[in-house]
Amino acid sequence: MKIFILIITSILLFSAAPAKADIKFSGFGSIIAGKTLGSVEDPFNPGQKRDEILTADFYDVGQYTNDLTFKAESIFALQAVADIGNELSVTAQLVAKGVDDFEPEFDWYYLTYQASDNLTLMAGRRNIPMYYFSEYSEVGYAYPWMRPPSNLYWWQITQFNGVHAMYSFDWGDYSNTVTAFYGNEYSRDNTEMGYYEVLFGGVDSTVVDEFWTDITGVNWNISGGNFDLRFVYFQHDLERTRRFIDTTSDVVFTSQQFYGFGGTVDLEPFTFLFDWNFVTRDDGLGTEFPTYLVSLVYTIDDYQPYIAYSKADHERTKLNVDDLEEHYIMSYGLRYNFLPNASFKVQYDRFVDQGHGPTGWAYHGDSDTISAGVDFIF
Amino acid sequence: MLCLFKNVKWVVVLGLFVSSLLTINRAYADVAIVVHPSNNSNFDKSTIKRIFLGKAKSFSNGRAAILLSTSPKDPITEEFNKKVIGKSSNQVNAYWSKMIFTGKGTPPQEMASTSEIITAISANPDAIGYVDASAATGDVKVVATF
Repeated sequence: MKIFILIITSILLFSAAPAKADIKFSGFGSIIAGKTLGSVEDPFNPGQKRDEILTADFYDVGQYTNDLTFKAESIFALQAVADIGNELSVTAQLVAKGVDDFEPEFDWYYLTYQASDNLTLMAGRRNIPMYYFSEYSEVGYAYPWMRPPSNLYWWQITQFNGVHAMYSFDWGDYSNTVTAFYGNEYSRDNTEMGYYEVLFGGVDSTVVDEFWTDITGVNWNISGGNFDLRFVYFQHDLERTRRFIDTTSDVVFTSQQFYGFGGTVDLEPFTFLFDWNFVTRDDGLGTEFPTYLVSLVYTIDDYQPYIAYSKADHERTKLNVDDLEEHYIMSYGLRYNFLPNASFKVQYDRFVDQGHGPTGWAYHGDSDTISAGVDFIF
Repeated sequence: MLCLFKNVKWVVVLGLFVSSLLTINRAYADVAIVVHPSNNSNFDKSTIKRIFLGKAKSFSNGRAAILLSTSPKDPITEEFNKKVIGKSSNQVNAYWSKMIFTGKGTPPQEMASTSEIITAISANPDAIGYVDASAATGDVKVVATF
């Protein structure tokens, strides 16, 4: 992949010079500030108080506490699409996030080959089309809320290196796209898993490698005049290695299956958005992760007040154990489209942790969070 | 870099300042959909909408459509989005932002002016665009007016 980055960087650097490639630049970003409003009993130190914490971005562990911060969710991304001829193009997204101190990284880099009017092939690094909003979860301008509900978009892996075959066809007035995808992700020193390691009393020096391999799946998108729906199924193998400072390690192997159905329905002046997902894990415990989101947006000229409810659960069906991780977020907000390519948003989130305290599964704690910011595209 | 962001007030001030600039005088002009005079494809409203959202990639004559738009600041864009797409410009832009940044679609090519659109379409049998109906000339064919 390093060679790939080098090629794209070279293209970007020399784009000013006369070149054969036709390059288009575009980008998106969000500048968002937020804070939690109160304190809560520390789930790990009963009797002690700590700031409420809202994890707004699980993958990067972008969090809000009582101290106002711009770092949890602010992001700037520049996309370059270089047309290199014969229906072949290269796309790269250079992304700088507050959680990484705005150090830019190539989060997306892939080749696109337009095999025919209906068939598009892509190869390289992209987001896993996991949930309905997963592929553009960082493009704040593309959806009404401050963020897709973080308690559902909680996975420690969001991207992968792989191949996609996208086939489009019509059924009467309905447009369909079916995409098959396959790939792998080797996340060494995974940020989110490392965070849990420390949270649950481990030491900072323990490193967690999270490998998702043979990520294989298909999704089907169907849209008509006032709706857009998407079904997805994929599966993958999971290998998690905890490497300790004394160079010992332990490894867990399992596999997971994702099922999802989500979409948007326009009923002017309302828009209804929903996403239902169900994940099963082959770990002998019957581990399942049912999650769902329902949201309603009201559009009146440039103003879009909205509400959203998102619920996540973790069960072990073979043990008949239900006392694990469980939480919901109730969100209220307003999007104000003050320019054709920019919007101001303000959102209040009530996170309620329904996890089982005595076994450490209520580790988030309740929180009330206010966040405000501007999303833009260019 | 972060020192810029330490004061939340500037976001609010910026928002209010920009919104104060936006007391747009909305012009309610008719929108003409224009193609090359040789293009004999069928154009009803639903077809035009699907073409401009990239959901239909070809005309009924089988040739791939080349989409042209004016600047987002041109009031005719707002009219076109409202009357033909049935969405506000923001909603259309949100749709395209999701397509662009997931590599699943390319929005219409932005032209600097109405006259550029007419010149480009008169020179390209596969181009389609929209203009203020009063600006359409004999060099292009008007297939629908909204």
